[in-house]
Amino acid sequence: MKLRTVPLASLATFLVVFQAFSQVDPGPRGGPPGAGGPLASVAANNPTTILTFFNDAEDRFEEVNSVFGTIPGEPDGGLGPRFNSRSCVACHSQPAVGGTSPAVNPQVADATAHGATNTIPSFITVSGPVREARFKFFVDGAGNPITTAPDGGVHALFTIAGRSDASTCTASVISQPNFANAVTKNNVIFRIPTPLFGTGLMENIDDSTLLAYQASLAGNPLGIAGTFNRAGGAGTISRFGWKASVSSLEAFSGGAYNIEMGVSNELANQERPSPNEDRAAGLPAACRLNATPEDHTNFNTTAVGTPSDVVMFAMFMRLLKPPVKSSTTPGGAMSIINGEALFTEVGCASCHKATFTTAPSSITPDLGNATVRLWSDLQIHRMGTGLADNIQEGAAGGDQFRTAPLWGMGQRLFFLHDGRTSNVLTAISAHSSTGSEANAVVLNFNALTTTQKQDIVNFLRSL
Amino acid sequence: MSLLLMLWLSVVPQGELLVKGAMPSASDASTPVPEQGSVAAGRYRNAYFGLTYPIPAGWTEQPAGPPPSDGGAYVLTQFALYGPDRRLRAHVLVTAQDLFFTLLEAADAKELLAAARRGAESQYVIESGPAEVTIAGRRFHRLGYRAPRSGLQWRVLSTDTRCHALTFTFTGTDPALLDAAERGLSAISLADTAPACVNGYALGDNVVERTDPMFATNRYNTIPVRLLVDAKGRVKHIHLLSAFPEQSQAILAALRTWRFKPYRVGGKAVEVETGMLFGNPRPAIH
Repeated sequence: MKLRTVPLASLATFLVVFQAFSQVDPGPRGGPPGAGGPLASVAANNPTTILTFFNDAEDRFEEVNSVFGTIPGEPDGGLGPRFNSRSCVACHSQPAVGGTSPAVNPQVADATAHGATNTIPSFITVSGPVREARFKFFVDGAGNPITTAPDGGVHALFTIAGRSDASTCTASVISQPNFANAVTKNNVIFRIPTPLFGTGLMENIDDSTLLAYQASLAGNPLGIAGTFNRAGGAGTISRFGWKASVSSLEAFSGGAYNIEMGVSNELANQERPSPNEDRAAGLPAACRLNATPEDHTNFNTTAVGTPSDVVMFAMFMRLLKPPVKSSTTPGGAMSIINGEALFTEVGCASCHKATFTTAPSSITPDLGNATVRLWSDLQIHRMGTGLADNIQEGAAGGDQFRTAPLWGMGQRLFFLHDGRTSNVLTAISAHSSTGSEANAVVLNFNALTTTQKQDIVNFLRSL
Repeated sequence: MSLLLMLWLSVVPQGELLVKGAMPSASDASTPVPEQGSVAAGRYRNAYFGLTYPIPAGWTEQPAGPPPSDGGAYVLTQFALYGPDRRLRAHVLVTAQDLFFTLLEAADAKELLAAARRGAESQYVIESGPAEVTIAGRRFHRLGYRAPRSGLQWRVLSTDTRCHALTFTFTGTDPALLDAAERGLSAISLADTAPACVNGYALGDNVVERTDPMFATNRYNTIPVRLLVDAKGRVKHIHLLSAFPEQSQAILAALRTWRFKPYRVGGKAVEVETGMLFGNPRPAIH
């Protein structure tokens, strides 16, 4: 027994000493998921039938798409011809349905499902984050980036070629983008899925509330001065996606169905070609296999079956309850309370604003007049050359990103827009580089003691 | 790998911002603009403000801040002092807020600091101010506050120049160190003279000839523009704080054709600096 006891005691001593000198990210918070499921008023079926809609929407969110919907167990049609994954839940599943990138990347299996003959790009791994790829610039005939010709579009990872249901869309008519060349030429960036919990609350924050907060920060002594991305047409503040370029959950849903799964729909009616095909003759005719839009309003069916998938995906997201934080894990209650106060003191909460209040809701009581603890101002901020991806979306330039809402980050596995790190401390330090609005705040963080930094990390992992 | 070598190899440079979004630009490269300060020989110099700031001994320049915002906020420079253990001990952030474009209804540095105090009151312990102090023969306003848990302290000193609030923010946990850094401000120099600056001069009857810029697309961004008008009412210099390239071209082309009534002080026509907004009108939220 002594032989076992002594080394364990030594190890404990070592850990205590180590902790005293260096703050650490304890990693994703364990225990049951702190997110998932409907808002309480939806669970209470208020108004009547809303729970039926939520449950049906969740089923659709989890369905796997195939090309014609004829493969057993994959009843939804419209997949591809280009796609990144085969269901919504594949990418939005950590720590529960509606979340973000899971521990096992489903894209590895997607690449060859049902006989597909895709090559898995080097940046997609089993234990890595789910990723979509965007090319920074169009390339010339030799594959060299033309830095005066910004691309910015999503280049879907896979094609349906080789699948048992690919019909005439074979490898002889469609191919994957040249990701190896894009990696070699540093011409590709990545985006990981944004978590969807509580997004109905985010959608229902009035523009005037966001603008008033922005004005209140003017003249702050931290060098922070964000702005808003706005929806084309309406000109209202858009707030979804890594650069806040998407104005509503329905637009988010329609875009994702089209871009990530290749399903044309009533918001994005065209079968989506690659950005290069879009500049030439479009998708090969042999790969236009279904009538468009593939997802559409359903007639002659039940009330809950009538809306399109896109409408129901949006409804699912809208009715998801927000993440619930832990008051004790990790590090204990005092550390978390202290960490939250320090997070505000150093200035992090200037952009990662703790709360907003929503406008009255016409949908369900819990969406209206609610306090939203999202930890974001929903503005876009200059984040410096270290995080810049050279992608422009709406008014957001290559270095501007929406303040990522932090709720739920305690159980997230990957951080920053491209999933480059799983470590909270690395994510914090990445906020500082040439041109970043966060430089002064990161200096404030760096002035803290090890214990204080640890408290902030514990607080973040409690969310 | 150097930028030129990477371009030669047709590799997109790492850590270079090439797709910039809305950025500052100007009608010529020789007229100073606020964002063009530089550090040399232990001093930060900014020709627009006529500012020279001797950097405290041992303090090092930090990564540059963001470009000017569409609300007229500038991060001019930042310096920090590290201890032997590499832990940060203090830093100073030098900023400017163009008072023509601030999102707050603040007419000067004093009102801006008063707003900063109101913003700080719920989270910090206010130690003093804003109170008027004289530094290097110039009127500043000073706000001091500290954070109760972290021990961080802020000393914010702001002065009015060219319709900007020019602000030095010292932050750290060691009061003696901050005191010394604050005393170092007495060695700064700032221009005594500058063009008259008048808010709203490019409105109404002051504009004799105007052609409005045409934008091919509406990007819904706010475009703040500073104009320098000479004593004969001609546009001498145009500075766009934040605009997309095609917006800059349209605005520059239009504003070059504008003519103003000469601005007069004591009956004498003089240069005048003013500001105007293009693009998405900012909602009134004051």
